[in-house]
This record gives sequence, structure tokens and C-alpha cells, in this order.
Amino acid sequence: MNAGDFLIELLCEEIPANALPSIRQQLAEAFSGELTDAGYQGFTVGALSTVRRIVVHAEGLPAMQPDREEEVLGPSVRAAFSSDNSPTPAALGFAKGQGVSVDSLRVVQGPKGEVVAATRQMPGRPTPEVLGEICERVFPALRVPKAMRWGSGDYTFVRPVHRITALFGEGAFTEKVHVSLLDVGSNCSTVGHRVVSPGRIDLRGAKGFAAYAKTLAEAGVVVEPEGRRRAIEERAAVLAAEVGCEVRLDPGLLAEMAELVECPGLLRGEIAARFLDLPEEVLVTTLRHHQKCLVLVREGAVAPFFLAVCDRPDDPEGHVRRGNEWVVGARLADAAFFFDQDRKKPLASRGEALANVVFHQKLGTFAQKSALVEALAGQIAAEAGLGLAPEFLARACSLLKLDLTTAMVGEFPELQGVMGGIYARLEGESEEVWRAVADQYVPVGLEGPLPRGALAAVVGVADRLDTVAGLFGAGEVPSGSKDPFALRRAALAVVRIAAEAPLRCDLQEAAHRALLLRKETVTGEMDAAVSAVRDFLEERVRYYLTTVAGVTAEVAEAVLAARWGVIPEDVARARALEAVRGEDVFASLAVAFKRVRNMVSKSGEGRFVGQLLHEPAEKELVAAVSRAEKEVQRTMERADYEAGLRALAKLAVPLDTFFTDVLVICDDENLRAARLALLARVEKVFLRLADVSRLSAQ
Amino acid sequence: MDLQSLILTLSRFWGDRGCVVQQAYDLEVGAGTMHPETFLRVLGPEPYRVAYVQPSRRPADARFGENPFRFGKHFQLQVILKPSPEDVQDLYLASLVALGIEPSVHDVRFEEDNWESPTLGAWGVGWQVLLDGVEITQFTYFQQAGGLDLKPISAELTYGLERIAMFLQRKDSGFEMEWGGGLTYGEVRRQDEIELSRYAFEVADVAMLRRHFGDWEREAARCLEPEDPLVIPALEAALKMSHLFNLMDARGAIAVTERVALIARVRKVAQRCARAYLAQRERLGFPLLPREDNGASKGNAGQRNGGRR
Repeated sequence: MNAGDFLIELLCEEIPANALPSIRQQLAEAFSGELTDAGYQGFTVGALSTVRRIVVHAEGLPAMQPDREEEVLGPSVRAAFSSDNSPTPAALGFAKGQGVSVDSLRVVQGPKGEVVAATRQMPGRPTPEVLGEICERVFPALRVPKAMRWGSGDYTFVRPVHRITALFGEGAFTEKVHVSLLDVGSNCSTVGHRVVSPGRIDLRGAKGFAAYAKTLAEAGVVVEPEGRRRAIEERAAVLAAEVGCEVRLDPGLLAEMAELVECPGLLRGEIAARFLDLPEEVLVTTLRHHQKCLVLVREGAVAPFFLAVCDRPDDPEGHVRRGNEWVVGARLADAAFFFDQDRKKPLASRGEALANVVFHQKLGTFAQKSALVEALAGQIAAEAGLGLAPEFLARACSLLKLDLTTAMVGEFPELQGVMGGIYARLEGESEEVWRAVADQYVPVGLEGPLPRGALAAVVGVADRLDTVAGLFGAGEVPSGSKDPFALRRAALAVVRIAAEAPLRCDLQEAAHRALLLRKETVTGEMDAAVSAVRDFLEERVRYYLTTVAGVTAEVAEAVLAARWGVIPEDVARARALEAVRGEDVFASLAVAFKRVRNMVSKSGEGRFVGQLLHEPAEKELVAAVSRAEKEVQRTMERADYEAGLRALAKLAVPLDTFFTDVLVICDDENLRAARLALLARVEKVFLRLADVSRLSAQ
Repeated sequence: MDLQSLILTLSRFWGDRGCVVQQAYDLEVGAGTMHPETFLRVLGPEPYRVAYVQPSRRPADARFGENPFRFGKHFQLQVILKPSPEDVQDLYLASLVALGIEPSVHDVRFEEDNWESPTLGAWGVGWQVLLDGVEITQFTYFQQAGGLDLKPISAELTYGLERIAMFLQRKDSGFEMEWGGGLTYGEVRRQDEIELSRYAFEVADVAMLRRHFGDWEREAARCLEPEDPLVIPALEAALKMSHLFNLMDARGAIAVTERVALIARVRKVAQRCARAYLAQRERLGFPLLPREDNGASKGNAGQRNGGRR
């Protein structure tokens, strides 16, 4: 089978690192989709990039596009054929229009009944032509975080494009693919690395993508991001080992470094010993976030070295190392200066300045927020029965946001909380208190450590609940991809801390309290705000159950539909239900309970009058419910939810018999009410554990 | 290379590439962008190329001459190329070569860094240029100024002169960097850093600053009122408002609640100036546009600067 290769390279001005992964993904998907739609099969597509290049290649494309057939629907059968079955002018016209004989028309089922259809032959066109058109559709449709205009201002793209190389060929690139994008036309050559090999490289005759990649590598450009990442990783290990250190693991930074260059260079620089006295968090933040340097560690402590990426293979005169050392030294000197400045004034004395730091335009300052967090945290701690010392809680909340006024956080905003914790520790605050300050933004996601200690957990939950409630109340509700205040992340952290710390308090209740504390800035109806915040939290609980707790969507739904709020218990109920739901009895239980819920919701509860119930089946159900109620109560007290669910399972047979033998909606009004009331009791005991009607009856 | 040679070399370099070598604006401004040669010239269709050194005031960044990297007043060398030429990156790299920075032995990288000025209603997209890891230039493609979409697009190159001079001289403190004439930066400037810091943080009369903020806002409005508005005086008033705001801010006198409102008041004047300037240039028939009638090209962007094809 003959197969051709395609390559397109856009040479651009430096593209932002954060745009590249998504650009590659979009291109790979779009080209696969377009080629499939164009009738190609059995091909492969790859999308690559460097900081200056966007590259797509495809292999296994025949020189001619495969011929395709397309079914075109025409007039209805009634309009197409006259009573003697001869074709009408409508049918003749349709056939002619599609270039087929009228005899070849077929009858098919259209969306509005039977119609005639023609099979149109679509002969394939030369593949380079098809590819050129695909490129001109796909590239302009790329979505990037921030697009720009340049020069005349007529075109918009992620960065200006200087050159387009587009080639096709079987065995070797022999043919230019005509592409015109952003007023730039394609040609057959590219250029190498700006410094290593800036000259023109003719790619005609290159034997496919592998040859292109090799040629570029010789010109100082590693076109595969993964290749650059690996090269940096390997070099980092060598450079670290040379000085008896290890690289502090940092996969995110490693991946970003690979996006910043064409040539994966890495160098080791030294840090002046005096800076090692700075708190480790400050050192790491300066190196990592501000200089994008990998940190080296020796015996668990930061070592006086860093690794910096550079876009060249070597450092012939040591300039690159010296420059990086100079700027790292300057940055650290800056940090040391801020640290000393901050230390001149105790953290606790910064309260006045905090009254000048706005939390949110509609919600006031961080000083006000701290007071609200303290009130809410107190309520949560009391409900969860944590027995925290009130003076610790008050102290932690009063110090919580003060580091926002420090020079260090002004310079390194990502050290919020961390700096407060460091200063509080250095000023002799108790361990519980400084940890609560230090860990207030922990955890960031579903992984990583939790806040250290119960005080930190309560304060972390209260702070975030106040943020979510305050912003929801003020109408700043996340929608779609817009979540500027990262409320989803905050709510998920609340759920995770509650589940894992653990905190046995009702989050629904806590959310309500948080809104009451913010009632002055709630713009709409309080009830609406409360239910909006609860729904928002419920979604995070659902997410937590299905990801971290690992239960299926319908188990999460069954648990949440019954009730939710005390997260450790919700998680335990979900896990229990997940464990027992495979047992046969739960399938029939689901069906039976669905009937119970339907009847109770449609007909109301009625009044339970036991002596009216006389049928054996209903008497048996009464007895079974009573037993289940007692048993569920006992198992709940032991938090043995699996046993509770099995106790409910014992209702399956009596329920089935009841529904078979007893007519609930009978003529006798009193009897009907009594039977509905019995079902309501059944419903109630189930809902202490789970709404099993949400389970599929497989 | 000392600071003054750096300035002379860059001025010569850009002068040779068709730039008007302008002088600093004679008002306190926060950045070279506020100079009318940038803020106004980037508006409208007329090509323009200009380079100048702008002393830039950032009262809140002042550090009493104690922090070796922070200054309440520092020098930017600002270049505007309108429209941004196809080879703007190459031109910029050539300017580094003129400073003796040979790419063959250095690492020059362009790392994403976008720019926004809420007081000017302006934003752009671009990079910080890293030389061996050191940020030496802010490179921006202006997208909007005075709230107006720009077309053509200007490239703005802002060289941080203290940074570059310190780097070239391998000095760990800005105050030890050689200025020229046998003196260091500290000998020339340290005392005014100390005094400007004290003024900004401890002495400035907030009530007076606040009063003048309002005064200049009214003055700007008066300048912009006539059919034929006084654009430059109005913009100067806006620049004064901006500097007064920065001083009040450094003094810690701006309550959180009024911050956004004060910035919006400056922006409003700046945006009115931008619109008035554009209308004025249009009335004048955009005199720097290349003239089609006689084929002669006007404006200093000349042939060298046809933009993208």
C-alpha cells in the first residue's frame, strides 16, 4: 500500500508556554477529525511544538484522497413517482442534479418519511490539495488564552507567524503543500535554532517526519516536547549528582521548562551561603516561581545550587551561568531585604493596615473577613465537638490574613499564608496557631497534604465557606469556564478537609450560617442564596464521592438524595452502599423503593393508624419496618452502614408481598391514609441511609 | 559599559533605524508609556518611530536608597516602532549586539509577559526579554490605548537601564554601578533616592495632593471642553493626576474603597485625551500618513517600515 507523509511547520515569534499544550492537543484532534471526514483511514497524526514552532505531521496518507460515496436525500416517494410508478419530473431533476441515472435512485427512510436517495460518487482529489484546505480551516480556529494582533493589525493569532513550511511526499517530501495563513504563504524550507544554526534548511527530499526531526536536531532544535523534557530531566540528574545532591521533584516545572526552549539546555548555578538562612519556602518560591529554576536538595534540606533552563546547548564563556547566578542572588537579596523589613514589625501589630486591604469590592476588607471567619469557625468547631481552646481560635483568626500587609507577600503573593505562618512561628505563637495560619490555603487540590491539626482544618473550612457564601450572596457566581475567584476549588477543599481531617459538622448548616454572617451583602433573597450555595457544595461532594471515594455516580446520587452534610458520614454511607449494592437483593429493593417514593410523593403521607391495617401482608410489613427502624438505629450508632443497609434489605420481601397483595389506593379513605403512612415510615427509615430508588435495577 | 554609554549607544542605534530621538517628558510619569510620544502616537493610522530615555517615578517602589535593586525613580529607554516591523525581534537583538552582547555566547529568551495599565486604559501582549536569565527589556505589542483598539499595532521596547548597566558591569548594587564621568550611580543619585523616599512615605501633604488631584481633573475637563480641545495640556493634567495618585498611594492615604474610583477618574481623562487626539489628527488629515498623490513617503517610518508586507 502506498502511503505519503505530510508535514507543516509554523515558525512564530516566541509562543507562551501555557498556550502550547492545548495547541498541540487541539491540532492533533482537529487534523484527525478532518482527515477522517475527508475519507482517509489508517493514518497517524502527531502535533509537536517548540517555543517558536508549531508542527503537525501525518503519516499513511495516499497521494490521492480515497473516492467516497455520499448518500443524498431527495424528494419524498410520493412526489418522486406517479401512480403508475414512473418517475416524476421531480425525481428526474433530482437524479440529474446529483449526476446519477434515475434508475439508480433508491428509497430510504428520511426524517419525515420515505424519500428517494441518490448515491453520489465523490472522486478523490490530490491529497496535498485536501491538506492545504484542512490547514487553512484548522489553524485559524485554534483557541488560545490570549490572542494578539501585530504590524498592520489585520490578523490575529497567538504570536506573529514568520514562515510556513508545508510538504507532502511518498517516501520523501517531494511536493509543497500550498497553504496561506495570516498573509504568509507556504514554502519548502525552514530555519534552525536562532543561535546554533540560523540558516535556511531545505526540506525537499527529507525522508519523512523522522528525517525532519533529525535535521532540526542537528540545527539545535528538539521538536518533540517530550524529548526536551527528558533531556532536561536527565541533565538535571547528572548536574545534581555532580555536587552530591538530588533534584527536588517538580514535574510541573520540568514540563514548563521544556516549553520555554527549542534547545533543551540546563545549567547549574550556585547560591551564596548567606541566603540559606532564609526560610526554605522563600528560597524555593524565589527559585521556582520567579526564576523557574529547579531546586537541589541534600539530606532533605535545600542545597546551595539551582538548575536553570537555557535555550542553547552549552555555555562557552560561562556568561549564562553567571547571569543566572547574578539574578538569583539579586532576587534572594531582595527577598532577604523584605524578610528583614517585615521582621522589624510584629505580625500582630499589622491589624490596622489590614483594614486597608480589600477582599472584594462588594464584601469589604480582609480585616472584616477575619472577624467573620472567627465567628464561623467558632460555630463549626463547637458543632464538630472539637474542644478547641477559644483563645487559640481567636488568635489564629486574628493573625490569619495579616501577612497580606507584609513586604514579602507583596513581592511573592504565592507565599500568602506561608509567610504568616513563618512570622507567627518566629514570634513564638503556639504550634496550633501558626500552623492554622500557615496551612490556610492547603490543600490545593485532591492530592497533597491536609492542613496540620484540627484548628487549621476548622479555620481553613470557615475561611473558604465565608468566601463562597460571601461571593454567592453578592452575585459573583461561577458559570461555565468562568470562576475568577476559584470558588469551585475552594468548595472542593472544604469537602476534602471535612472528609479527611475529619470534621463532623453539617456543611449545609455551616453554609447557612456563613450566609447569615454575610447577610448585609446578600443582594437577592436569602433563601435563594442558601440553596444556591448548598447546591454548589453538593456538586463538590458528588465529585469527591465519585473520584476520591471511588463510588459510582448512582451510588453517590442515592446517598446525596437521602441527605448529606456531615461529610465523613456521607463518605462512609457511600462506601457501604457501593460495597453491598452488588448483592441480589438490592436490585429488587431499588424497584420496590421506587414505588414507595412515587406513592408517598404523589399521595401525601396520611395518618398512621396501625389497627386499621388487617391484611397479613401489611401486618407483616409493619412488623418488618419496626424491626428495621430499631436495627438501623443501632447500626447508625456504631456507624456500621453496611449492616444498616442489610437491615433495609430485609424489607425487600415484605415490600414485594405488600405491593402484590395490598391495594394501597383503596376506596376506604382512612385505610388508604393508614397504608400511605406505613409507606412513609418505610421511606423515612431508608432515607436515613440512602435513596436506593436511584440505583439501577440490574 | 557605563550607564551613559549605554544610553548613547542605544540612542544612536535607534536613531540610525529611523527613530526620532526624543527627550524625556518634562513631567513626573510612572513609565515611558505615559509620554505623549507613546501614549498618543500609537493611536490612529500614522506610522511613527521614536526613542527616548524616560525617568520613571514609582514612589511606592522607593527604598530609602537601601535596597540595591529598587529605586523610586529609575530610567527607561523607550522605543516605539509603529507599525511593528516584520523583523522587530531581529532589530532588537541587533541592539543588544550594539551593546556588546553577542548572542553566540549568551542566552536570550523571550518569555511571555503581558502588560496592562488601568490608568491609561491600555494593554498589550508580549514578553520580558531574559538575557542569561536576567530581565532586561519589556517587549510589548500594544493592542489598546486610551480604551481604543489600535491599528496598526505598535511595538514598544522598554529597556530597564539600571538593570542592564548593573548586569553589564556585574555589580551587585545599583548604587555601585558606573554612571560615567568617573562617578557611580550612587554618587549621582543616592541622596535624591533617600529624600524622595522620605517625601513619598513620610512627608507628602496628603490633603494638598488630594486637592490638586481634583484641581487637575477640572483643569483637564476645561481643556477638553472646546470644539478644538487642548489635547496636550489635558494629557499633562492626566499625568499629574496619575503621579498625585501614586504619591497618595505610597503615603498609604488611599482607602481601599476609593482606589478603583480614583484610577477610573484618571483613566476617564486619559481616554478623552485619546479620542480628542485622534479627532484632531483626523481634522489635520493624518499628516504623517504616506501620501499617495506624489508617491513620496512622509513620516519617519519610511520604506524601512512597511509593516508586514
